[in-house]
Amino acid sequence: MKRQLIILLLLPACFAACRKTDTSRGPVPVPQEVPAFFPTPAANIDNPLTQEGIELGRRLFYDKRLSGLNQLSCASCHHPDLAFTDGVALSQIGASGLPLHRNAPALFNMAWNSNGFFWDGGSTNLESQAFAPLTSPDEMHQNLFQLIDELKAVPDYVRRFEEAFSDGEISTGNIARALAQFQRTLVSAGSRYDRYRRREEASLNAQELQGLQLVQQRCASCHDGELFTDNKYHNNGIDADFSNEDAEGIYQGRFRVTRNPADLGKFRTASLRNLLFTAPYMHDGRFATLQEVLDHYDHGVKESTTLDPQMRQRAGQAGIPLDNNEKQAIIKYLATLTDTAFARNPRFAAP
Amino acid sequence: MKKYFILAAIIAVAFTSCKKETIVTEHDGEATVQFDAKVNNNDFVLNQNITIGARTYNFKNLRYWVSNVALVQANGTEVSVPNSYFLLEETNAVTVQDGAYTYPASKRENVVVKNIPQADYKAIKFSIGVDARHNDNLSLQAGELSQLSGMTNVSWMWHTSYIFSTLQGTVSDGVSTKNFKAETGLNTNYKTVTLNFPEAVKINSAKSTNLIFGLDIAKVLQNIDLITNPNVGAAQASIMTTLADNYAGAFSVQLVK
Ligand code: HEC
Ligand code: HEC
Repeated sequence: MKRQLIILLLLPACFAACRKTDTSRGPVPVPQEVPAFFPTPAANIDNPLTQEGIELGRRLFYDKRLSGLNQLSCASCHHPDLAFTDGVALSQIGASGLPLHRNAPALFNMAWNSNGFFWDGGSTNLESQAFAPLTSPDEMHQNLFQLIDELKAVPDYVRRFEEAFSDGEISTGNIARALAQFQRTLVSAGSRYDRYRRREEASLNAQELQGLQLVQQRCASCHDGELFTDNKYHNNGIDADFSNEDAEGIYQGRFRVTRNPADLGKFRTASLRNLLFTAPYMHDGRFATLQEVLDHYDHGVKESTTLDPQMRQRAGQAGIPLDNNEKQAIIKYLATLTDTAFARNPRFAAP
Repeated sequence: MKKYFILAAIIAVAFTSCKKETIVTEHDGEATVQFDAKVNNNDFVLNQNITIGARTYNFKNLRYWVSNVALVQANGTEVSVPNSYFLLEETNAVTVQDGAYTYPASKRENVVVKNIPQADYKAIKFSIGVDARHNDNLSLQAGELSQLSGMTNVSWMWHTSYIFSTLQGTVSDGVSTKNFKAETGLNTNYKTVTLNFPEAVKINSAKSTNLIFGLDIAKVLQNIDLITNPNVGAAQASIMTTLADNYAGAFSVQLVK
């Protein structure tokens, strides 16, 4: 009998020994939000969303400790109330004070983009992207060693990294992962158009519906589907000459990344959602208003060898013909794609 | 009696389910893998004039990633070294992030590989650079991968990824002298090298094994004209590919013991 007891006593001990390696109660998984009619999001196997990771990412996104001089956070150039743009063509609030080469893009519906971030796709995913603004001397210019020390000095961060990640470390990798998780939750699908599309609200008016039809006919080959972007790279004719190799080819578009001459002057299609928040427009913010954008498509398109064929809708010539009436209808329709609830969502706001 | 038997069985199961964490193989061996940089048959040294062909070089640094190392057993079984991302280097101090901090001067040519299952080994396989999965996702950080060692930098940040290799210094043809910087990167330039040993070597706990491989910088620079093209990087795509191919062909077996 005694022997049996000893064996029985042994049992829990060896099970306990095993249990140690099971992570007892990890972070709480959160499914990727997928609005009605949206496609399947891009695969995200390496960095699943968790409550703790998302919340940590939000705090980091708004924390000025992430810049060398503790003067800038990600939100300094990506304001939530402007759909995470900054309202200027080329920001010069970075550490060097020099104007950036590109316009700060809106940040939403990025969970669907598997075709590269930045206007030229120079970053494969959000986990890698964060290192660019963090380290660039024209942006946050953060010494990454220092950042880790700074965050380790904050007990709240120590606890939050422990809760969010299995290794519990405050590391550059986990900083990038948390930021990426927060940014994948930035889903915008609450505009009047969306409510109309989901039949939650009465129809759009006649002019708006005319605009919708025009956009579907003439713009949707690139500004495709419910995301209003195909996330692909096109030359939409805003420039004709891409020979300027300065700043490591920043003016050459997608070519900078692929070195393929067929990609000269191509930039990633921007979404048509939230345009009322995201002026000025295009990768360098050259157009201040939607009227200017439509004037460009109508009669400003410049011919070049890489110009997208969809940019030649004027009987094979450069341009997408639009009369004034059509332009007004398109502008009215684009306004229905404004998601005010997104811009005011407390889940996305500064902690 | 039967009861005891069942209990014993449960215990056995319980212990085997633990076993995963506690492999103690008595006969595992250890090997020191050395990557010895050379110029032809001489040692590679920094800050000294070295002649290769008609050019005189003065090297400031040599740094490259060796990844996904595997040892190949005589029967063909490949034993991969877990988390094998190693930064090999011979370098003066490196200014990182435009001067945000300095990476200290360092010489590192040895990698110690532990827990090698005892067997006869006939070859080694490794790659130069960082595989696509880790190159595309800087947050994964396996092995020695890090953003802090200056092997990702702002000029590469247009395509946020690792620099696979960098070789820097000055080069002179007697007429002009140029500062050069020859780097490789991008997934298409990830190259795998297999080196067969002259004869199979037994690795086990009885002795520590030494595997010494040479990297000949003269071969690395073959057909690369650094006077005409002192910067080799992503913007010089075809030269960069030649350079990456050169690295893959510049390793040789020196000693297996
Ligand atoms: C000084 C202004 C500035 C700061 C600070 C800044 N960004 Fe940006 N951000 C930009 C600009 C400009 C671009 C476009 C760069 C390009 O395409 O070449 C950009 C692009 C991005 C993109 C790509 C979006 C897309 O769809 O392609 C993401 C994501 C992003 N930033 C996130 C962040 C995060 C996270 C931080 C903080 C770690 C941050 N940004 C800090 C200005 C800034
Ligand atoms: C051939 C593909 C293509 C077609 C067709 C097209 N666009 Fe674009 N659009 C783009 C690309 C690419 C960009 C980003 C270009 C850049 O920044 O250099 C863009 C940018 C925009 C922007 C600026 C968005 C921002 O946030 O900066 C607006 C607005 C826009 N397009 C509206 C339209 C409208 C309206 C139509 C139809 C009349 C249209 N586009 C047709 C490819 C296209």
